[in-house]
Order: sequence, then C-alpha cells, then structure tokens
Amino acid sequence: MKKITIYALSTCLWCKKTKQYFEDKKVPFEAVDYDRQDPEKQAEIRKEMKSAGCDTSFPFIKIGGTCTQGYDPAEFERLLEKK
Amino acid sequence: MSVQERKKALRFLFEPLVDKLGYKFTPAEGDADFLLEQEAEIEALTGIPYCPCQARTDDRAENMKIVCPCIPFHRAHYDAMKRCWCGLFVHKDVTDPDKLVQISESKFKAGIK
Repeated sequence: MKKITIYALSTCLWCKKTKQYFEDKKVPFEAVDYDRQDPEKQAEIRKEMKSAGCDTSFPFIKIGGTCTQGYDPAEFERLLEKK
Repeated sequence: MSVQERKKALRFLFEPLVDKLGYKFTPAEGDADFLLEQEAEIEALTGIPYCPCQARTDDRAENMKIVCPCIPFHRAHYDAMKRCWCGLFVHKDVTDPDKLVQISESKFKAGIK
C-alpha cells in the first residue's frame, strides 16, 4: 500500500474534499494542516512543495513517490494504480 | 460585525468586482457559503480576506496575490480552469461547477489540462 500524505489548509474546501475522497475509498493517509504548523514546519512544507515545482496552493498530495496539486479524483486514481 | 454579517458584506462587495472580470459566484451554494465563511474568519484574524486555499507566507508582495478576489493575478490560469483556485468564482457560463477540475499552476504552465 502506497504511503499517502496530504498537505492541506484547515480553511480549504478542496482539502476537505480530498480527505473525504481517500476516507471514502478506505485508503489510509496522513494529513498535515499547514496553517496549524509552527513557522519552521511551514517553511519545510513550502520548501518541499517548491522542490516539487509547485506554488503554495493546496491541497498538495504525495502518493508514493509522486506529488500532485489540487483536487483531481481521476489523477488520484491514476497515481494509486501506477506501478 | 459578526462572521455571518461579514459573509453577506463580502458577497455584496465581491459580486460587482468579479462580474466585470466575467466571473460569478459558484452556483454550488454550499461551497460558496463555506468559502465565504472561511474568508470572513481569515479576515477577522489577519485583517484581509485572503484565499482560503492558498498559503500566506512572510512575503507581503506574494500575499497580495491571494487577496480575494485574486483572479486578476492569475487570470490566464483561472480562465483555463473556468474557475478560481478555491472555486468561489466560476466563469459566467458555468452551470455545473463539479465538472471543473483544479489544474495546478505548474501543470497549467506545462500546458497539461
């Protein structure tokens, strides 16, 4: 089973929908609300997103070794099935 | 002013602004209500109605690009999605916002739909 991490904002509608998507599919994931982290952790998250070529828009999702940004169930499905 | 009152005020303030840009509030009323509430709360916290789906940093110039309605700063990207990033606003011809997909800025710049 691939490790899934969701970087989110507690105020973000699409982060809520992303979490709901994986809950509905009964796929375990770790969720980190960026806006509830201390400044050091926030800087770490921003650095990771930037190194993945992304800006600081949420949700930012890591599925196995691949990152994607935005609520896109078709993309989530593709990455879950990707060998 | 309470969050509920501020939600109404933000709706009143934003409508004519986005109308001129060719956008309207999302017809998904529940989503619009949730997002406006988040913005009213962010404004109560910071003094500014920032986008609820983009992170603020310690770079004020960058933060200004996510003050709602942030459409003018991301015009080509949002036009490609027919919606803004948080989905509060959609193109005027959109009737089913659930069909619209979030395309990340990096994908948009790479021409990926």
